[in-house]
Amino acid sequence: MAIDPSQVRRFAHGSRVPGWDDAADLSKDPAVIPDPATTPVPEHIRAEIEAQMAKYPDFRSAAIPALHIVQREHGWCSPTAIEQAACVMRLTPAYLTAVATFYDMFSTTPKGRHDVFVCTNISCSLLGADRIHEAMVEAAGRDPDFHVKPFECLGACDIAPMASVDGEYVGPLEETDCARIVDDVKAGREVLPDKQLKRRKIAIEYWREQTLGGPDARRPSQDAGPDDPRR
Amino acid sequence: MPRPAEHWVTFTVDGLEVQAPDGVMLVDGAKYGDVEIPVFCYEPKLGQPVGACRMCLVEIEGIPKLQTACSTPVKDGMVVHTQTQRVHDAQRAVVEFLLINHPLDCPVCDKGGECPLQDITYGWGPGTSRFIEPKRHFKKPLELSPLIAIDRERCILCYRCVRFSQELSEDYQLILLERGAHSYVGTFDGHPYVAPFSGNIIELCPVGALTSRAYRFRARPWDIEGAGTVAPTDATHCNVELTVRDERVMRVLARDHEGVDDGWLDDRTRFGYQAVHVDERIVQPLVREGTELMPASWEKALGAATAALKKAGARSAALADGETTNEEAYLLQRLFREGLGSGHLASRPHGELPLDAARALADPALQATIPDLEFAHAVLLLECDPIDEAPVLDLRIRKGIRRHHVQLAVASARPTALDAQAASVMRLAPGGAEGLLVALDAALSGDDGNLGGASTAAGSNAQAVRDLAAWLRDAGDDLVIVYGERALRGQGARALLNLAARLELAGRDGAGLLEVPSVPNARGMREAGFAPGHGPGFATLAAAARDARGIAEGLASGELSTVWLNYADPVRFHPDRPLWESALGTAQVVIAVETLLTDTVREYADVVFPGEAYPEKEGTLTNLDGRVQRLRPAIGRPKGATGLPGSGVRPLWQVIADVARDLGLDLRALTGAMASSQLFEAVPFYGGLTLDEIGGRGIRWPELNAEWDAPTEVARLEVPAAGPAAREGALRLGTFRSLWASKDVDVSPALHFLRPRQVAELCPQDAEALGINEGDRVEVSANGTRIRGTAKLRAAVPPGSVFVAEGVTDEPANTLTEPLVEVRRVRERELEPQL
Amino acid sequence: MGVQLFYDGIDDPELRTLDGYAKRGGYEMLRKALEMEPGAVLQEMLDSEVRGRGGAGFAMGKKMSFIPGGTMDKYLVCNADESEPGTFKDRELMQKNPHLLIEGMLIAGYAIGANKSFIFIRGEYDHQADVLDAAVAEARAAGYIGDRILGFAHTQDLVVHRGAGAYICGEETALLDALEGKRGNPRLKPPFPAVQGLYRGPTLINNVETLMNAPHIMRMGGKEFARLGTANSTGTKVVSISGCVQRPGNYEVELGVPTRELVYGLAGGPPEGRSIKAWFPGGSSAPVLPGTDEYMDLPYDFDSIAKAGSMLGSGAIIVIDDSISIVDVAVKTAKFYRHESCGKCTPCREGTNWTVKMLERVQSGEATPMDLDIMASVQEQIIGNCLCVLGDAMAMPIGSMIAHFREEFEAHIDAARERNGLGAAIPQVNRGRQGGAYPMREPAGIEPTPAVV
Repeated sequence: MAIDPSQVRRFAHGSRVPGWDDAADLSKDPAVIPDPATTPVPEHIRAEIEAQMAKYPDFRSAAIPALHIVQREHGWCSPTAIEQAACVMRLTPAYLTAVATFYDMFSTTPKGRHDVFVCTNISCSLLGADRIHEAMVEAAGRDPDFHVKPFECLGACDIAPMASVDGEYVGPLEETDCARIVDDVKAGREVLPDKQLKRRKIAIEYWREQTLGGPDARRPSQDAGPDDPRR
Repeated sequence: MPRPAEHWVTFTVDGLEVQAPDGVMLVDGAKYGDVEIPVFCYEPKLGQPVGACRMCLVEIEGIPKLQTACSTPVKDGMVVHTQTQRVHDAQRAVVEFLLINHPLDCPVCDKGGECPLQDITYGWGPGTSRFIEPKRHFKKPLELSPLIAIDRERCILCYRCVRFSQELSEDYQLILLERGAHSYVGTFDGHPYVAPFSGNIIELCPVGALTSRAYRFRARPWDIEGAGTVAPTDATHCNVELTVRDERVMRVLARDHEGVDDGWLDDRTRFGYQAVHVDERIVQPLVREGTELMPASWEKALGAATAALKKAGARSAALADGETTNEEAYLLQRLFREGLGSGHLASRPHGELPLDAARALADPALQATIPDLEFAHAVLLLECDPIDEAPVLDLRIRKGIRRHHVQLAVASARPTALDAQAASVMRLAPGGAEGLLVALDAALSGDDGNLGGASTAAGSNAQAVRDLAAWLRDAGDDLVIVYGERALRGQGARALLNLAARLELAGRDGAGLLEVPSVPNARGMREAGFAPGHGPGFATLAAAARDARGIAEGLASGELSTVWLNYADPVRFHPDRPLWESALGTAQVVIAVETLLTDTVREYADVVFPGEAYPEKEGTLTNLDGRVQRLRPAIGRPKGATGLPGSGVRPLWQVIADVARDLGLDLRALTGAMASSQLFEAVPFYGGLTLDEIGGRGIRWPELNAEWDAPTEVARLEVPAAGPAAREGALRLGTFRSLWASKDVDVSPALHFLRPRQVAELCPQDAEALGINEGDRVEVSANGTRIRGTAKLRAAVPPGSVFVAEGVTDEPANTLTEPLVEVRRVRERELEPQL
Repeated sequence: MGVQLFYDGIDDPELRTLDGYAKRGGYEMLRKALEMEPGAVLQEMLDSEVRGRGGAGFAMGKKMSFIPGGTMDKYLVCNADESEPGTFKDRELMQKNPHLLIEGMLIAGYAIGANKSFIFIRGEYDHQADVLDAAVAEARAAGYIGDRILGFAHTQDLVVHRGAGAYICGEETALLDALEGKRGNPRLKPPFPAVQGLYRGPTLINNVETLMNAPHIMRMGGKEFARLGTANSTGTKVVSISGCVQRPGNYEVELGVPTRELVYGLAGGPPEGRSIKAWFPGGSSAPVLPGTDEYMDLPYDFDSIAKAGSMLGSGAIIVIDDSISIVDVAVKTAKFYRHESCGKCTPCREGTNWTVKMLERVQSGEATPMDLDIMASVQEQIIGNCLCVLGDAMAMPIGSMIAHFREEFEAHIDAARERNGLGAAIPQVNRGRQGGAYPMREPAGIEPTPAVV
């Protein structure tokens, strides 16, 4: 016996996936394409979605843009939000739900207004991303305005460990930065201006400046280069 | 698009040379060499293969990676291996992966014993699993709808059910939520998956994840037998396989017939079987004594019926509907014509056709087939909505549009389910189809004189009709016109024939006309001579007789005295309920053949013969494209209360023959088969069919090359009178019959929740003007008659019209007989307190 | 440093504007291309031999030449769904030089006759998408995008489409599904996108960096361009280096430079006092290679890395130093792929899930060395059996980690069992490392079971 059976938690677990244990509510009507006669859609949302639909040879391509729009308007992809988008696009709400639940950036449960996506993928985690995530949860986790979420690679491993705060990439983060992020967002300020990725120069230039400007506090730049003894 | 030509290729599977049609997928091609390649997700009826389950990986020489046989078309000279080590490894890997989270509850699983996953695991799996992690457990079973239970533990995510909902029935309610290992099948925000075809996903599911709530735990595969027959629930006559256990129908499965149903069933056909075994079933004759219907012996009932008919003589009439077979219709018309001298035989609620029109419309050269819908260049849907009247046609039309780029035009008063798929949609005034047909005829012939007036009568305008006419002319050679029975009123039939002549539809394969009648065996009954205007095979008669409305008027006025209702419920389903109530109330004797104790039977029948339900019946039916198919008894007929042989339900052909005998007429029908062969002889174009020839797949008689003389000249048409226009405070009344308005739905426990309730469908503009909101109780009234329903706002309803449902028992729409109605909101204090 | 096609002056903030770009010769190559026959432009691309920078390394010119001629609607899609862990080059290129991408797309679109083009940018790249939107608006206003570009017959529209967060959308057919407004599930191939892609029309899909090469190729001439780099890996490459290095970032190099120069020379090597344990040569989907001299001396080009048993992928090096447990890296990697598996095909959906569960047991100390064998065998069962390459993308690095670092895994298991008081693992009977995947039944020559009908 390779495994001690008593050690395997065989039945001590239920559903870990929301939704799997949910039955249909038989008191509801089937969800067909919402009839414009009974589904009010704010005019600006309708106009914006229709503009997106016009951009593509097939209007269904606007599904993701439409969900971005209604998520922005409603704070999350609520059933009402999805029904509104479905009504404008003449699709069933189920169609858009299938799409919305597939993608990480859409939330079909209520969430805070401010998205803080902390990258916890390989490069960031090699440099302590899990700690940053914990610190971020600590700093903002209980605030209903914040939506802190561990995220897969956000494509900014050069500033690892990093986070995306309402779309603004900041890093490299230290645990102490988390409180500053919360303060900056609450005050409506730019988030960590000194750590914003968009202000950073290309690596060669950046590190040259860092080296000239003195050793990097976090990782002392001791340029080994081709003369590195380990070669 | 016309059907592509077939071309055969030769390839090698496991060293065996195999020939298969070009373009078929390897999974299907290999079957030509008796090689089975296991699959889960592959189902060609669901469209393009998705290659998701990876069960069908095979080795193809010249291709380094293993290929999915479900998505690789066979090619000439292809060399395929399905029995190499690599293929075995891959297959075992996939089975092992599929089973890691699949529970081992086969002994209590409904699918056990008929489960593809079980079979493939035994046949191709590794035998054991190395997965020692805890399996996932979830609550089970859960309700997906009142009809379907879902067990997400068992789901192997093969995509079949969601593809059915999304790509086949196109209701797009059933979806996959989340992603990756977290994916699960569900719906939007917990709404139930209720759709006319939802039950098909149960049959598609290759595991026990989707089960029928009506069948769950009722039988195991080794307890049951399958019995093939056809279902007379609608005029397409879907082929079904009844699952029988101990003389009870436990389940209905599809019996794939490409020419009829393409393997799909609507939920009414699938779950309506429950009506066979309910308490409301009439299992022995009833005779009214005083005001009460009392059980009676067959002798007494037959005696009562015979006496009444003998007394009425030529003042008798018959009405047929429902499960009436060709044989019954034929024998009944003999009974009435030869035994009683009465030709008052009607089956069509909306009136019968003149003989020349009926004969011309049945011309084999003009008949389209059901598969033509799939391969036509264009389809015109005229005043019918297949989803309610012949559901599987809806799927066929969608398939044609999806796969073969069929162009669809819809012209109807009420919005149809296919509007979204249509290239053009024309909304008519209720009852405006005749006007449209005349207007189209005028537009195609360039007769501007009629065009304007007829277009107005249609509720449209000349330009729109001209556009539709141009569309029909330019749509391509293969044009199929699908028309509802209501379109034939007045000059509708003549105009339709003109249209067919002008568009040269006759004699062209792949083009033609297709009627969607509102009575399931309408075509067969007409051809068997059960019609006031002609005998069997459209034989000319000396004198025409009364149609359905005429019969009602005759009964009400006393000109007719006795009526035979053969599975017919005119009070519920025919127009003008007050007239029918008065007719049946005034009639001296009402003889009814019925399976269930319906309101009409309870109220009006004097003699009731217990009717066979379709699983008990033998005989033939002719579906809407002329396919003669056999009903085969799957279970025995119910016994009477005494349990004595012969005390219960008897075959109807025998009952008719017994009545005839007592009237001094020998029908020479000693067996069902004798009745059938009489029918085949009497109807010339059935060309001496035999039951054996008809077999399990049926025969389309229009393909038998019958001689046909039909008038070819186009008829001169008049501009029909336009219905009254909507005005302040009055809307035009339109009606529709829902798929669910049927006696089976009323009594089947599973379908009970679908029983239609009365609605008033309005456009938002009218609703606003009337101060009506969605969901309000409203009253629709005319001349003091009123029905109540729930307001339903639909943007697609044309302004000025209101639509109410036919066949609703508590608020019957056919009490309203005026074309214009008033609609108002019922104030709260008027509502009766809810008990 | 060598040639800097992309990075020369890229930090000039003016470059983002049309004026700044035009000042540096922007959109001249578009005009030059439009003056040529489409076939001649295509020939230049073929001559350049430039290989795709997105991961698969397929020759760009060849891919373009698969697009059929004719007048049907054809589509060009730029894959800017840069989500491969460790890869962040496209982000910087798009943000700092958006017009180069637009010009590259217009040249490629002209060469294949595409009138509709899309940039599918991952939804997280909010800022970059804004930059692109602005650049597209400017270019449209200036007549570079739209009907009859610069008065020539070519018409091309360009839409920036934002995704919504799904790694799988970087797979080209999944990207097409996502662009069509569906769940981003990969499609079966064939038909390949070049035949039946977006909206069922012929579609060319290329990575950002690949398309950005087009103006450079036009300027230098395809043959001249092909002189950069090595024979089979032409041109320069922006390499993303991250993880345990002192100076992470994007560095543009000619392909074929020694890896050591990238990791130690440019990126500064591992932090002081540490050494390199392993490295991903081309994003997290590439099998890891040990940090030994043998591998550090490999020239960084497509062929050499492939020969060493890994792949250049998207050109992203992630360095893992000796302070990191390889088990942790394996768990992170496997969890990532489990999270990102679309769930469509069985081996990937179930295989990633199973692997994570096994690895978690390895990490927590509930495993035995036998589990490593099963895990390795599961990876083999995934490779080659999936619908797309995502399953392989997990199976290959996990498989390589077990192969290269089995001792570390075993030591970890022993230590963790010790910690948990589980005692030493009992050696396995019948399941040696070479025991194969199926110890239970002889697989060959089975008769189909009669039970299966």
